[in-house]
Amino acid sequence: MMPVEILIIGGGPAGLCAAIQAAEMGSKVLVVDRNNSLGGQLVKQTHMFFGSEKQYASTRGFDIAELLLDKIDKMDNVEVMKSTTVLGIFEDGVVTLENNGKYIKIKPKATIVSTGASEKNLAFPNNDLPGVYGAGAVQTLMNEYGVKPGNNVLMIGAGNIGLIVSYQLMQAGVKVEAIVEAAPTIGGYLVHASKVRRMGVPIYTGYSIKEAHGKDSLEKAIIWQLDEKWNGIPGTEKELDVDVICISVGLSPLSELLWQAGCQMKYIHEFGGFVPARDENLQTSVKGIFVAGDVAGVEEASSAMVEGYIAGMSAASYLGYKLYNMQEVKDDLMQQLNSLRHGPVGEKIRNGITSLMIDNEAAASIDAFK
Amino acid sequence: MRILEHPILNFERGKLITFTFNDKSIEGYEGETIAAALHAAGVRSLSHSTEKHRPRGLFCAIGNCSSCLMEVNGEPNVRICVEELKEGMVVRTQTGKGDLI
Repeated sequence: MMPVEILIIGGGPAGLCAAIQAAEMGSKVLVVDRNNSLGGQLVKQTHMFFGSEKQYASTRGFDIAELLLDKIDKMDNVEVMKSTTVLGIFEDGVVTLENNGKYIKIKPKATIVSTGASEKNLAFPNNDLPGVYGAGAVQTLMNEYGVKPGNNVLMIGAGNIGLIVSYQLMQAGVKVEAIVEAAPTIGGYLVHASKVRRMGVPIYTGYSIKEAHGKDSLEKAIIWQLDEKWNGIPGTEKELDVDVICISVGLSPLSELLWQAGCQMKYIHEFGGFVPARDENLQTSVKGIFVAGDVAGVEEASSAMVEGYIAGMSAASYLGYKLYNMQEVKDDLMQQLNSLRHGPVGEKIRNGITSLMIDNEAAASIDAFK
Repeated sequence: MRILEHPILNFERGKLITFTFNDKSIEGYEGETIAAALHAAGVRSLSHSTEKHRPRGLFCAIGNCSSCLMEVNGEPNVRICVEELKEGMVVRTQTGKGDLI
């Protein structure tokens, strides 16, 4: 069995930052990712990030991925396994992996789960037609592979992802016919909304999709207005000739491994589904299993990176590695998270986290790493 | 359906290669996924639901949703949204849940 100190599952923004922090403190780190390249969804983010300089604000997502990967490349104590899927975390602390048909068993002393999230779909007639895509899928096609998803798009959801991807579609030369948002107001930053509006894209708030039509693939979408109880109002239908419906109605944490490991889970609506209870060091109820990024609650890549540093530091310190100014660094990271979580949207996140907090001394019911 | 000009991105595409989709020859670039190459060639219907045989395309494009399962070089249930395209690959739409034997 391969000896491993810290296993990091998922090499997106959270996992990469966790690896950097844990390795800087001297621990030996293994980063496992199911894809054949690291960076997660950062590699398809063409927009400049918000937040502060510490989270690379004003830098484009794919450039941030390069910066983090450069750091990892230079570290001798970080090993990377690409095209490798984690299959299971077992009670005795053994973790099983699959790489090119090979079955591998490892026994890490600590594990950081940073598996991210998957896109939610929306229920409406014919939502399974080819041409109905998640916003992330559209980003993958056009920003990673340079392929247009179609010619005319209806965007569902006016949160930041919906607005940013609409803009990116126009940069790729694709027409966005409309953005619909079921809520009475736009969820994303107004600076993004103004940008797409200036380019002539109507944003219909209080509207949703009624149904999609098409034979072998999407040909048409019907939208309608919603009443105050979010039911469609007959007679308000608008017909749009679109070959793509892009769904950006949120994400759901990819938490299967945490369930399997026996972590205490809790449903938090604002975080996109079931998320692990954790202490302030991002350790779950199972000792030695830490979390960071969207799997711990769907937020943004900026907070995922900060959580990554915190989880990396906690896992390394759990194994006895120290930094001379650890408390100072930790306080600074906590401060960064707090400032990313300010404002009305941040309030929901802060409330969600409060209800997830556990005191690990008392709550650690299972000790997988005895 | 390829993006030829982009204000920010510069697509460095790999070698142009040929593969077959349902016996038809299609071109794509080395290093991209099968799904990207098919999409660029205008193929959006990738699989069919097992019971009602409704056409299905990709949804997530990152290997989560299994909406794009196809037969590749005789192997069924390949997630073509994450499978890298290689010269001479034989890609087919599969019937039902796929046959291993």
